[in-house]
Amino acid sequence: MEMVKIFWKANCSKCPAAKDVGNTLKEEGFKVIDYNLDTLDGLAEGAYYSVMATPTLIIEDRDENCIADFRGIIPSAKEIQTLINKNYR
Amino acid sequence: MSTLREFDIETKRVKSDSETTDMALFVRTSKEDLLGWNRMRIVDALVRETYVDIDTAQEISKEVERQIIDSKIAVVTAPLIRELVDAKLIERGLEQARKMHTRLGVPLYDVDQLILHPNKENANVPHSPEATNLTLAEMIKKEYALLNVFSQEIGDAHLRGDIHIHDLGFIDRPYCSGQSLEYIKRFGLSLPNSLSIAKPAKHPEVLLAHMVKFAAALQSHFAGAIGWDAVNLFFAPYLVGLDDAEVRQLAQILIFEFSQQAVARGGQAIFTDINLYWEVPSHFEDVPAIGPGGKYTGKPYGYYQEEAQRFVWFLFDVFKEGDGVGRPFFFPKPLVHITEKFFKTPGHEDFLNHICDVASEKGNTYFVFDRGNTAKISECCRLSFKLEASDLEDAKEPWKMRYTALQNITLNLPRMGYLAKKDDTKLFSNISDFMEMAVQAHMQKKGFIEKLLSLKERGPLALLTMEKDDSPYLRMHRATYLIGMLGLNELVEIHTGEELHHSKKAFKFGLKIIAHMKLLADKFGEKHGMRFVLEQSPAESTSYRFAKLDLRYHSPQSGHIVKGDISKAEVYYTNSTCFTVSSQMNPIERVRKEGLFHPLIEAGALTHIWLGEAKPSKESLANFVIKTFNGTLNDQIAFSPEFTTCISCGKTSRGLSDECNYCGSNEVEGITRITGYFTKTSSWNKGKIGELNDRFRNSGFLNDGDGDVIKLPQKPKN
Repeated sequence: MEMVKIFWKANCSKCPAAKDVGNTLKEEGFKVIDYNLDTLDGLAEGAYYSVMATPTLIIEDRDENCIADFRGIIPSAKEIQTLINKNYR
Repeated sequence: MSTLREFDIETKRVKSDSETTDMALFVRTSKEDLLGWNRMRIVDALVRETYVDIDTAQEISKEVERQIIDSKIAVVTAPLIRELVDAKLIERGLEQARKMHTRLGVPLYDVDQLILHPNKENANVPHSPEATNLTLAEMIKKEYALLNVFSQEIGDAHLRGDIHIHDLGFIDRPYCSGQSLEYIKRFGLSLPNSLSIAKPAKHPEVLLAHMVKFAAALQSHFAGAIGWDAVNLFFAPYLVGLDDAEVRQLAQILIFEFSQQAVARGGQAIFTDINLYWEVPSHFEDVPAIGPGGKYTGKPYGYYQEEAQRFVWFLFDVFKEGDGVGRPFFFPKPLVHITEKFFKTPGHEDFLNHICDVASEKGNTYFVFDRGNTAKISECCRLSFKLEASDLEDAKEPWKMRYTALQNITLNLPRMGYLAKKDDTKLFSNISDFMEMAVQAHMQKKGFIEKLLSLKERGPLALLTMEKDDSPYLRMHRATYLIGMLGLNELVEIHTGEELHHSKKAFKFGLKIIAHMKLLADKFGEKHGMRFVLEQSPAESTSYRFAKLDLRYHSPQSGHIVKGDISKAEVYYTNSTCFTVSSQMNPIERVRKEGLFHPLIEAGALTHIWLGEAKPSKESLANFVIKTFNGTLNDQIAFSPEFTTCISCGKTSRGLSDECNYCGSNEVEGITRITGYFTKTSSWNKGKIGELNDRFRNSGFLNDGDGDVIKLPQKPKN
């Protein structure tokens, strides 16, 4: 199943909006995991995806390959849905 | 100084009478005279040096005296007397007193070995009487540090090999530093205890002389590298009006001066890094330039771009030629900063080709990547200071830009793995414990250095306390404390069964370890008000030391883990967060993946690309550098060719060989990069020789010369 990973920090003003997008996607049945970059798991996963800006959204395919990323910008939930549906559903 | 401590050698006659006053026992002191036996010297020393009460001291002295008399020893030495006294302290359970009463020194056998054979702990230490002095002094200071600066717990952790405290032999100095030429341009050369004072230089060659002298003075006050920021830019105001031949000559003098300083401390060349820019860094562009005589020229540094470029171009001309017989220069190390502005500065394509030509031909060039608004000063094998907002404020008065790392402690990561026995909780707890030990060690060293600094101009670190600009030369409040790591690859293998490059899972686990260390460093920093930062330790000898100690304490498991050839004792652990040197990876893939660790390692990281005999085209390397800048987060890369230089005919050829390609002589020396610098392979320790044998040379990937052979990993689709 495709997965959306959201990387955020507590002091990031744009991050709550990114998490809202994540919540919408969850309600639509997408798998969403969010990572606080101030925690161990968040920092380690963020390092793997070269996260240097917040928020960052990474979309992975079923084989955990990155198919799209949004760094420092927030796409709409619809944009992500379209992207996934267009490519993989 | 204790007289008893210096009691020495030689009993002329031992009488059976036990009365001190009647004994005609003569002892030669280290002050090269003979003293008559006097039991009270034992008493004096015990009372002066320890907390032992006078009655106990008297008892001990009598017992030792009796022992000497009864043994009828022909020759009594001061160390022997002290050891006999120490044995009595142990018998009484006075362990702390014994420690305080310890004699520091070196066995005769060891001194003999040192004088006759090279010391291979540091390949930058030659074999000479001066080097022997350095090594002997280091041995005593190491012992002193472990007994008197660090707590028993920390000393034991070092001796066990849980952690490695670097440069213990230089305990009374900070570790390394970043300097600005602006300091000597503005204040001249006026050092505490110097015989003469020089005003600010009026001519470029005098400025260079000041720089070299100051570097030598700094080498006496720091254990490791001396890095100089923006050297070509800060020389530039002195170069106006000089023709190309004169500028080239100055470039040649600079490089030879720093490569031939083998007459300085311990016969070592000064480990010198020169940071260079093609563009004028944004933070210096509007800064008023200091010119001849230490006076402002009335123009900002942005005005001097052309002169700075001329100088840096000629520096690389000289690097390309090599020394008098065409060998690469070992020092100074040129670090070229590649920035966003670099690519917007006219002429950058030609300059990039030029420095890549040098990288391919001689290997000197280090490519330091300052992406976004990052600015750094690099030094040592890979250490760099990232400039923060306050540092950029200092840049308006660049002589203030002087930085230091007070100490470096490296953690033995594989050791944590052996101890954890594949238990995640235990492993992360071990990491926390080892980090805490490193923090304690840093605090203890900080306290010691602060004690020395408090003695100001009367103390041993007078130079670092001089205040030419209303703040001490060494700005302790800006000091960083390095925490290095060694053998992440092996730790991951112990814990997961796979090396870092074997799987995504193993690689991610490695990232998690380093992320944990980074978070802990930040947390400890907040708690103690000190700046703890992770560094990829060069670990030239630590890699060998940890591997040997783990073979001792964690066999048989460690026998399957350490790298190298156990049968020849050429064992080592993989450096820091790097992939094993033998993995046959596409170099750009190595640079990209190793680079994912680099944002977590604030104090500097580096990826090596071992070239072996290969000599890729400058266009290929330039292409590689551009792709590294644009497509990875890697902090720094260096290409490392190998050479064989012939002692018989003096010629140098490509690749490592047992005999000279020109004259067939087997009197040859191999030359390549050991950690972060070039040196002769004959001076390498066994661990590094093991690593050299294992290195995978990237000849095929870079060598077709069309400038577009390097394939980036597939980028995420947007």
